[in-house]
Amino acid sequence: MELLASVLTFTAINVVAVTGVFILTGLTGLFSLGQGAFMGIGAYVAGLMAIKYNFSFPLAACGAVVVGLIAAVIVGLPTIRLRRDYISLVTLGFGEAIAALLNQSVNITGGAMGLSGIPKQTTLLLAVTSAVICLLLVWGFKCSRYGRQCLALRSDELAARSMGINVNQVKMVAFLLSAAITTYAGVLYGFYTTYVEPVMFGWTKSAEWIIMVFFGGINSLTGAVVASALLTGLPEILRAAAEWRIVAYCVIVLLILNFKPTGLFGEYEISLLSLLRPRGNRIREGEGS
Amino acid sequence: MNILEVKGLNKRFGGVQAVADFYLDLPEKGIVGIIGPNGAGKTTIFNVISGVYKADSGQVLLAGRDITNMEQHRIAKAGLGRTFQNIRLFRGLSVAENVMTAIDPLTKYNIFSALLSLPGKFRAEREAREKALHYLELVDLIAYKDWQPENLPYGLQRRLEIARALATGPRVLLLDEPAAGLNPKEVIDLIELIARLNRDLGLAILLIEHRMEVVMQLCQYIYVQNFGKTLASGPPAAIQCNEEVIKAYLGDEE
Repeated sequence: MELLASVLTFTAINVVAVTGVFILTGLTGLFSLGQGAFMGIGAYVAGLMAIKYNFSFPLAACGAVVVGLIAAVIVGLPTIRLRRDYISLVTLGFGEAIAALLNQSVNITGGAMGLSGIPKQTTLLLAVTSAVICLLLVWGFKCSRYGRQCLALRSDELAARSMGINVNQVKMVAFLLSAAITTYAGVLYGFYTTYVEPVMFGWTKSAEWIIMVFFGGINSLTGAVVASALLTGLPEILRAAAEWRIVAYCVIVLLILNFKPTGLFGEYEISLLSLLRPRGNRIREGEGS
Repeated sequence: MNILEVKGLNKRFGGVQAVADFYLDLPEKGIVGIIGPNGAGKTTIFNVISGVYKADSGQVLLAGRDITNMEQHRIAKAGLGRTFQNIRLFRGLSVAENVMTAIDPLTKYNIFSALLSLPGKFRAEREAREKALHYLELVDLIAYKDWQPENLPYGLQRRLEIARALATGPRVLLLDEPAAGLNPKEVIDLIELIARLNRDLGLAILLIEHRMEVVMQLCQYIYVQNFGKTLASGPPAAIQCNEEVIKAYLGDEE
């Protein structure tokens, strides 16, 4: 029972993080390999605020998100106008730099020993509520002029610019929103495990989330949620296979992406409206952009 | 009064002078054409006017305002809409949504009402959608509004690009080979559509085209480009019997 609750909590936290990555990678087509660092910022800043200054959870969470946003502005302003591949490189560098910083500033963060003693404030209820709220926010974003502009510039930046879309601004908005949500996921994580260490927040974390977004289907928020649930739970289910479970995990991901390149859900979204009435002659194509 | 003026435009790519000292006047509500063999620098002219490339020298004036080397999205907002030679529609968005993206930069609601789905968002979204459908009606694509653009026949994709360009609310429309790849019937429909947009919306149109029937029927004035230079310019009748032009197109008589 306890294991189930813990898996569910981790799933909910992953859903929060993946909704953030979905905005950036799914909607806008940018790959941030420094997304894990925002989670680290969330966990460490909020954790330190709670341990050293006795801040309550909501205040610590707000503080961490503000710090995450400031970091995102510092990284984003010079990078966002670069070509997409450079953005991945710069965010990778940023992520590793944050991890190194956490490792080196032993006096504050405890360095490689990690930071322990964060109060356990994240409950299953809080995690699930957070996930639902983030989903609603990101859904609102996707179905708005911002979401549409993100999709447009992902598909064709040149055409988007000639339609009057301020591409850099829209990218920046997506990046900031994504950073804020991921930072919050880090807060939840830190306050659940009560112990964090820098190595948890390297680029592999970021890559893991990008895999989840692709696994679920890059245009589908529904897919992102299902994928984060499946892929968070999968290692637990495969526990019997012991050391083979990482291999099994990879094989499953590869098989799905090989036979269904658009991910599990492609562009499909579960929505109350579409369940109530048929969507007419909307034709779906197998291939994404 | 000219709505679009290009003065002494130069653009060089390495050793290639793509556009050399190019002048153009597009009168208000006029239709002007640019023709010329492949590689004559016609699309480069469009790309410099619409801000894709920076001009090496020269000036572009839109309704008297200097738009030379402004950022692309600012030029679009200043009133310059365009289509592309190789169709560039947004995949992953429906036909109606493609048109809505052109309206979105002008829509007024902020990120917070987007995230929280506040009432103002729904009002603005409904208005934007109605506008988009209006433009789809203009180009007779309303029946396809929920389709994915890549599933449309080629001719209709070209029309969708025009609808999307119209949705930016342009004063000048640049059409880059709008008839390329169309069958004869579609070409006739396209000529009718361009004439209608020009007449009903009072839109000034600058077009690049290889199909002579399009250029000759629509344009009041034609510029002929060859190797970056303007070979000749004048009304269609004068261009048709211009010796230089015939030489460039058909080769020299030995």
